Amino acid sequence: MKVFFVIVFITGVFIVVFGSPVAKEKPVRDHYYGSPEPILPMSFAHLDHVTENCILCHHNYADDTGGGLCMNCHVTDPQLWPLLERQYHDLCRSCHEEKAAEGVDGGPPRECMACHLGDDLP
Amino acid sequence: MRVLLASFAAVFLLTFIANPTRGAGWFWDAGNALGFAAFAGLLHLTMTSNGRLDVRAHQSLGYGVLFVALVHVFWFMLGDGAVVEFLKVGAPDYMWHGIVSFILLGYIITVALVPDRFKAHRDYASFRYWHRVLAVITMGTATYHIVVSNFYLGTWYQGVLFAGLAGAVAFGRSFRAKLGQLPVVGIAVYVAVSLVFAAAFTVARNLPA
Repeated sequence: MKVFFVIVFITGVFIVVFGSPVAKEKPVRDHYYGSPEPILPMSFAHLDHVTENCILCHHNYADDTGGGLCMNCHVTDPQLWPLLERQYHDLCRSCHEEKAAEGVDGGPPRECMACHLGDDLP
Repeated sequence: MRVLLASFAAVFLLTFIANPTRGAGWFWDAGNALGFAAFAGLLHLTMTSNGRLDVRAHQSLGYGVLFVALVHVFWFMLGDGAVVEFLKVGAPDYMWHGIVSFILLGYIITVALVPDRFKAHRDYASFRYWHRVLAVITMGTATYHIVVSNFYLGTWYQGVLFAGLAGAVAFGRSFRAKLGQLPVVGIAVYVAVSLVFAAAFTVARNLPA
């Protein structure tokens, strides 16, 4: 059993380093949106979010903190960049979780690949 | 068997006392249900580790718990191509706690019996002490992993109750001693109960509204 456990552990490390051999889709880290370090791609479809209040995401409409695309500040600003993952998970995933708690189909609350594939949607 | 069912019932009921229909899709709910089953197995292993312990049965069930935990880990790593990103440097601390818990579980099970025990511990007293300490750390890190990942235990009182349950089992040695030597279930029974509870958990959270 010890040998089995060691083999399993090494297999796990290989999967972490090289990715799942069976997953249909795998995200590719790259310098998306001008990020200083490789990050995961992100999907966002405006059309799926038209029922939400714009200011939930576009806080700059009210507080005059920057403009343009979200990524303009959150990926390139040296102060915001380290918070990218936490801020986006807090905003996107928390909202999806709240919808799930209400029994509403409000986007993926956990499935990583549902958001971490790049897309061409508007 | 009653202790095993009580462990499973306690763990799974705590996930259902708030937002019982909250689900993340069958793939995620099934994978997480197996994680809860592994935790229930940890509770059972601890509850039944009093007095004159059947060490072979205890270790055999330990392998069962390790196997279910293994399926929980590889289910996500293999099934979702992005999950491994949560197992790298920079991952949230609750994921690191899960990794530590899994590795410790493997360690304390695989070196528990002779001759391997002699390689790691100079005497039985030292082994008993460190086995107990590492088992408590395993339960603690697993509890942190579950509570702080914060999906099925989405309210503060669920987190408190879950941590309280783990703490009571891990540190309630004097109470456990009063219960006497409780029987350890076989590995096949444990795996079967795990599958039944995991299936029920997944179905309950994915029923059409």
